[in-house]
Amino acid sequence: MRIDHTHRPWFVVTLIAAAVATVVYILYAVNTPTGPRGGSALGLTFGILGYGLMLYAGLIGARKKVPTWRIGRGQTWMRGHIWLGTLSLLIILFHAGFAFRGPLTTALMILFFLVIASGIAGAALQHFVPSVMTQRVPMETIYEEIPHVRVQLCEEADKLVASICGPMDADDTEEPAAAVTTLVEIEQGDKARFREIYLQQVRPYLADPEARQADLADPLRSTQIFESMRRLLGGQLHGVLDDLENICEEEHQLSRQIRIYRWLHGWLLIHVPLSIVLLVLGGVHAVMALRY
Amino acid sequence: MAGRTRTTKKLAQRINLNYFKTLRGIPRWRRILSGVLVALGVAWLGWYALAGTPKPYNAGPVSHTHTLIGGKCETCHATQAGFEHSATDKACLTCHDGPIHHAEQTFSPACASCHVEHKGAFRLAATTDEACTQCHADLAAKDKNAPPRFVSNIRGFDGTHPQFAVLRSGRIDPGTIKFGHQVHLKKDLRGPRGPVQLQCADCHRPPGLNQPWPFSIAQIAPVSLSAALPDRSYMEPINYEKHCATCHTLQFDRRFSESVPHKEPKVVYDFVVEKLTGYIAEHPTQIPLVDEPDKRLPSRPPQPPARNAREWVAERLADSELLLWRKACKECHLESFPNGNDALPVVSKAAITARWLPHSNFDHEAHQMVACAACHAKAPTSKETSDVLIPGVQVCRDCHHAGKEAAEARCFECHNYHDWTKEKPPVGKFAVSQLGK
Repeated sequence: MRIDHTHRPWFVVTLIAAAVATVVYILYAVNTPTGPRGGSALGLTFGILGYGLMLYAGLIGARKKVPTWRIGRGQTWMRGHIWLGTLSLLIILFHAGFAFRGPLTTALMILFFLVIASGIAGAALQHFVPSVMTQRVPMETIYEEIPHVRVQLCEEADKLVASICGPMDADDTEEPAAAVTTLVEIEQGDKARFREIYLQQVRPYLADPEARQADLADPLRSTQIFESMRRLLGGQLHGVLDDLENICEEEHQLSRQIRIYRWLHGWLLIHVPLSIVLLVLGGVHAVMALRY
Repeated sequence: MAGRTRTTKKLAQRINLNYFKTLRGIPRWRRILSGVLVALGVAWLGWYALAGTPKPYNAGPVSHTHTLIGGKCETCHATQAGFEHSATDKACLTCHDGPIHHAEQTFSPACASCHVEHKGAFRLAATTDEACTQCHADLAAKDKNAPPRFVSNIRGFDGTHPQFAVLRSGRIDPGTIKFGHQVHLKKDLRGPRGPVQLQCADCHRPPGLNQPWPFSIAQIAPVSLSAALPDRSYMEPINYEKHCATCHTLQFDRRFSESVPHKEPKVVYDFVVEKLTGYIAEHPTQIPLVDEPDKRLPSRPPQPPARNAREWVAERLADSELLLWRKACKECHLESFPNGNDALPVVSKAAITARWLPHSNFDHEAHQMVACAACHAKAPTSKETSDVLIPGVQVCRDCHHAGKEAAEARCFECHNYHDWTKEKPPVGKFAVSQLGK
């Protein structure tokens, strides 16, 4: 989600709430003889409010799981998640009196800082990275479909080559019996060279596009290789070479999409699990703090 | 060969429509990590729950004095009715008495409202000023019609703390001993063994200091043979035998080197009579002899020779009384003769003030790096007993004020909340095994 002008009302409300909470906290801290504590009436109020905001921020996960619920638009939930989640840190710091204290509360505060830091990093990435994706991956597909699409790309390339040179599993010396009809006769020498180049350079890359040692994995090198292939092979094969190069280019973009996707969503590996632990342990803290 | 095309139809055809049913990559790892981390957190708390210790819920390290019971939460957080285990005043009073502050106090705060635990290793008595100023900033006694006995608007030591009462009201030293500090701090003062230069610490010494007075003669013994270290907080009140007798002897007759006891006139009188009677019994040949005039006595007509021992004692007793009551005792004491000039005098009580600031604590030892006159600035020039020589509050404020590089200036530094004179020490209830390892 981009942090744009649509966030302004949320930002203003958060700012006002933070200012009010800060004024209340300062008055409370100055007028409390023994210093602010989470167990005091106002400290508990801050704690309940802060935990409530955390729960609200956490509920976005449930909201995403059941998108059909008629409980507000997803974008509204996300804006609330960002701004009220950030506000919850301030409120919880007021609850704690800016002290970490015991083992559980220290763990909770560390978790909270990690969650907020990862959330801010994530919000920044979600703001900037999608435009990069749009620019650099015009052939973007559904992330989860990438392995499936890659298999199809490889099959498509095989079919292209088979249309010129015959089936891939046939003996090299055999005549391409099942060759696709072509408008132009292609010399046998070119076919053999084309088949050999495909099997040695292109197909291994298409079979395992993430293998780093493949020359074609590098877009620049890929362009050079296909240029040299065009020089080496007759003009009749250039159309097929163009298609193969296009398939390789799509593979490059899918690889790029994977990298960008990892940037775009990798932070969630920290943010989500730690948020869940924070909510669970925070609930335990609330109950046990009342006990002691 | 026709170029490769990417139509919507072609793209749609290559999508596996069941892709969302299986989690892969980041979403899958997100779920796994969430489960593992929650399990780890629950296992951490569960481990301590099984061990029966609420350590994870500890609200922070306990104060230095409670470190012994720091790991035994139940010592303070005793089981109460229901779910709650909070520490109550009752738990504190098991080991400590908490006498009230003042009979007129309007409420008694809970122990934990001033002595806040779980804030680390510092003194629990180091309470915040606000614990005191919640009342003393606007002091209201139970009887609101009664005239105020204390300054009622103190908000801290820096600004609103009043001048010390003894200085504020223009009080004078109530002591009756005639004494001038200036005279005693003069150079080349006549001492028992020649000229001396007295220092403050020669007379103002902490009680129990196991050292003889520097100018003493043999009869001044060390005040204590105890190996215990003296409490140097306060100076011992000036005492004749310890501080004055070496120079200010109480000789009553040239025939005797010893002084009269520094006690009530009747004791002194009996002592002199006994000494003179004993002397003349041992030296009967001296009865008719007439003494040389004593320069210390006012001139008076020569006495006729005594005819017997009783007359001899009566004449010498009259001289001794004249020397003592009219000269030696009068040098320092206020005397009156309400029963006639020939009767024994009545000596006013010395009324030496032992503590000038009875509502606060002071430790001279903690201030021993400071020269005496730096605080007691009037002492070197004081000529009158009535001069009050304790420093004013501003002298304290020179060092004790707010700021990191200043001496402590919070209320507890000088004042006690609890009136420890009313303490009723509790009876210990714990066995060593309950507190030790």
